[in-house]
Amino acid sequence: MQRCLAIALLTWKAAFRFRLFWVLTALLLLSVVLLPLLIKDDGTARGFTQILLTYTLSVITGLLGLATLWLACGTLAKDIEECQLQMVAVKPIARWQIWLGKWLGLVFLNLVLLAVAGASVYGLLHYRANRLPAREQQVLRREIMVARGSLKPPKPNLEAEVQRLFQQRVQQTRIPESEYPELRNQLMELVQAAQQVALPGYAKDWTIDIGLRRALLKDEPLFVRVKFFVAQTNATGSYLTRWQIGPPDRAQIQDLILAAETPHEFAIPPNLFDDQGRLFVRMFNGEPTTMVIPLDDGFEVLYREGGFGLNFLRGLLIIACWLALLAALGLAAATFLSFPVAAFFAVSILFVVLSSGTLATTITEGTILGVNHETQRPTAVWLDFMLLPVFKGLLAVINVVKDFSPVESLSTGRSITWLELLKAFGQIVLFMGGCVAALGMGILTRRELATAQPQV
Amino acid sequence: MIAAAPEQTTTPAAADRETVVAVRGLTKVFKDFWGRPKARAVDNIDFEVRRGEVFGLLGPNGSGKSTTVKMLLGLLYPTRGHIEVFGHSPRHVQTKSRIGYLPEESYLYRYLNSRETLDFFGNLFTLPKKDREARTEQLLEMVGLTQTRTRAVGEFSKGMQRRIGLAQALINDPDLVILDEPTAGLDPIGCREVKDLILALARRGKTVILSSHLLSDVEDVCDRVVILYGGRVQALGTLRELLATPDRVRITMPPLARETMQRVLELIRRDVAEDKVRIDTPTQNLESYFLDVVQRARESAETSGATSGHRVAAYLRGEGEPSTAPAKILERLAAPAPKVEAAEARPTAKPSVDDAKLEALTRSTPPPPAEVKPEPEPAADLAEANEKLSSLLNKPK
Repeated sequence: MQRCLAIALLTWKAAFRFRLFWVLTALLLLSVVLLPLLIKDDGTARGFTQILLTYTLSVITGLLGLATLWLACGTLAKDIEECQLQMVAVKPIARWQIWLGKWLGLVFLNLVLLAVAGASVYGLLHYRANRLPAREQQVLRREIMVARGSLKPPKPNLEAEVQRLFQQRVQQTRIPESEYPELRNQLMELVQAAQQVALPGYAKDWTIDIGLRRALLKDEPLFVRVKFFVAQTNATGSYLTRWQIGPPDRAQIQDLILAAETPHEFAIPPNLFDDQGRLFVRMFNGEPTTMVIPLDDGFEVLYREGGFGLNFLRGLLIIACWLALLAALGLAAATFLSFPVAAFFAVSILFVVLSSGTLATTITEGTILGVNHETQRPTAVWLDFMLLPVFKGLLAVINVVKDFSPVESLSTGRSITWLELLKAFGQIVLFMGGCVAALGMGILTRRELATAQPQV
Repeated sequence: MIAAAPEQTTTPAAADRETVVAVRGLTKVFKDFWGRPKARAVDNIDFEVRRGEVFGLLGPNGSGKSTTVKMLLGLLYPTRGHIEVFGHSPRHVQTKSRIGYLPEESYLYRYLNSRETLDFFGNLFTLPKKDREARTEQLLEMVGLTQTRTRAVGEFSKGMQRRIGLAQALINDPDLVILDEPTAGLDPIGCREVKDLILALARRGKTVILSSHLLSDVEDVCDRVVILYGGRVQALGTLRELLATPDRVRITMPPLARETMQRVLELIRRDVAEDKVRIDTPTQNLESYFLDVVQRARESAETSGATSGHRVAAYLRGEGEPSTAPAKILERLAAPAPKVEAAEARPTAKPSVDDAKLEALTRSTPPPPAEVKPEPEPAADLAEANEKLSSLLNKPK
């Protein structure tokens, strides 16, 4: 361990001696201070705080992420190119320990920088919040600067319904077997639509099982968060909805005019669940157009789970997990590529991860270059045959680590649980980071270090 | 150059000692990106280095010296052949704790200062903090960098970088020291110090592999050499074997009276033809002359660069460290006696005198003992070497 720590300390010293630490600190602090002056919000304290949190945390993550990749590639590739690593490798330290030491140094550096930036954001938020009128402070502390848990209605078993309908159709109509997959897709869309729509003048019902939490949530206000789409937009972009919440005998009713395609939150009085801990929510569509409330993120009920401070810390730690993975990626690239190529390679990988949405769409569509509208067949079957499995593999790997979005959770006052943090550490650092580290350590161990000639 | 058979020849006592490095059929072919052979840097070489030897790897540029050294250190992998260092593969991590390496260039971290550099490498050997600090001080003193300990290595001159490089190679008190062009970039004082250090290490039973194309360096310190050319062994053996001209003899003495000289020559001419006898006045070695001049200058001026080194670090001389581990004491006790044989085999700058011929010659004209370069005496202890070094540099002991 002494050897690993010596390498870690060396990386740390390099960051200081090359003034990287100070430059990054200055950039991070500038972004925290300057961004609030530049960003535009909806004029409310809540909106401003949400945007402030989103922007500053995103900028901090982006800045540290790129710096981590750059530094990780540089610290190892430069050591190899300038032959300093030869001096280290002839000492009684295994190559994997050198790699690990570099990684530990980068992670430690990131933790310190993240702590500085995080503390600045936290301090700024509290400073600005304390200067607001008491009512707005209350709103902030209730909806943003808080850790809120989420309750969603149970997911319906769509597959079973699709299967039932599929059997029915196949028995009723002769359909070629080659079209079975397409039929299944269409049925799935149909079933999903049935679950998501609220027809004009009709209602959509949800039942939330609060379960054992009902004791904890007694006398606590709850929040409904809803997002919907409309089949036909109107001139104002706003739509009338009526909400009936609670058991039928003491349901609370309120009318709300809400914009489509935007998440909305509104508070509901406490203690509206029944004796069994069930909360009934019904939304009437008061417009002459169909409303679609997505199954995944269309409706949920939020409740206070904990304070903001710890939640913020857990969010930062998840960002640190990401940075640790990026450090591993940069170091792994640097074990077999020169500095500029390694940096390019690592940044490219990062872009692939960030564009995983495109990958997902391609896989869903089943073709990369699209379908020829005349023949109704994929444009390049051979390309799909070769690359689609690769895309699927990539997406499966990316999805392991991409599900954690602490910035979004923090900006919407959602709880990031310890379990979630533990999962993030396990999936991002231990699993993905471990795979990348094993690759990097393996290559470094096998590599002939003395083939590199110093650049004079 | 006298060509020698490539078979292993060692000094008699060295042959009994533990083999530190064994190289058999070693070949290194550098390949291009597509795996096609690009250059055959080392071609089927064999040699062994035994404990306590100072072994020279000689050859012109591109002869395969550095490639061989890097394979010994596990920085390059052989294409064919076998290397053992202390009985293990060069890539065996724990074996590396017994090796010190000075590369041909300064590959040190430019942003660290001298102290931090030594502390960093000491940490890689997992030396306790107290030992690291003590050794760092002694090494900085030894290489004459105590006054520049807080300057970044990147700001050092090439010579100073060699000095700190040498210090890092010795931080672990290595059993095998591999020095690649150790005197490159050093001033004559530094060169002399390095050579004295190598001799001091050898006296402690340490093994030194010296790669150089500076023949005088090798001649001054090496017991055995291998000469490489085109990646192949061209000659291998002790310097005595390789350099001796057994049919010649040289006598050095103070100027004689003309009549005495005539008598001596007459005596010699009875056995040797006139044209085979050569008489001249030996000149002083430039290195010795330079050291004298610098020594005189040092007494009246200061320098901001490296000062000349002082004492060989105590732990390298085998003197006790404050926290000497029992294992170290044991090792020192188990180390072979000061190597008379190695010293015998090491030629001095002037050819040594053949004992038999000297005996024959002294029957008629006894040579003045003070002027004849004596065979090196077996060192009683390292203090003597240190004393010699100190007197050379006119430093307080």
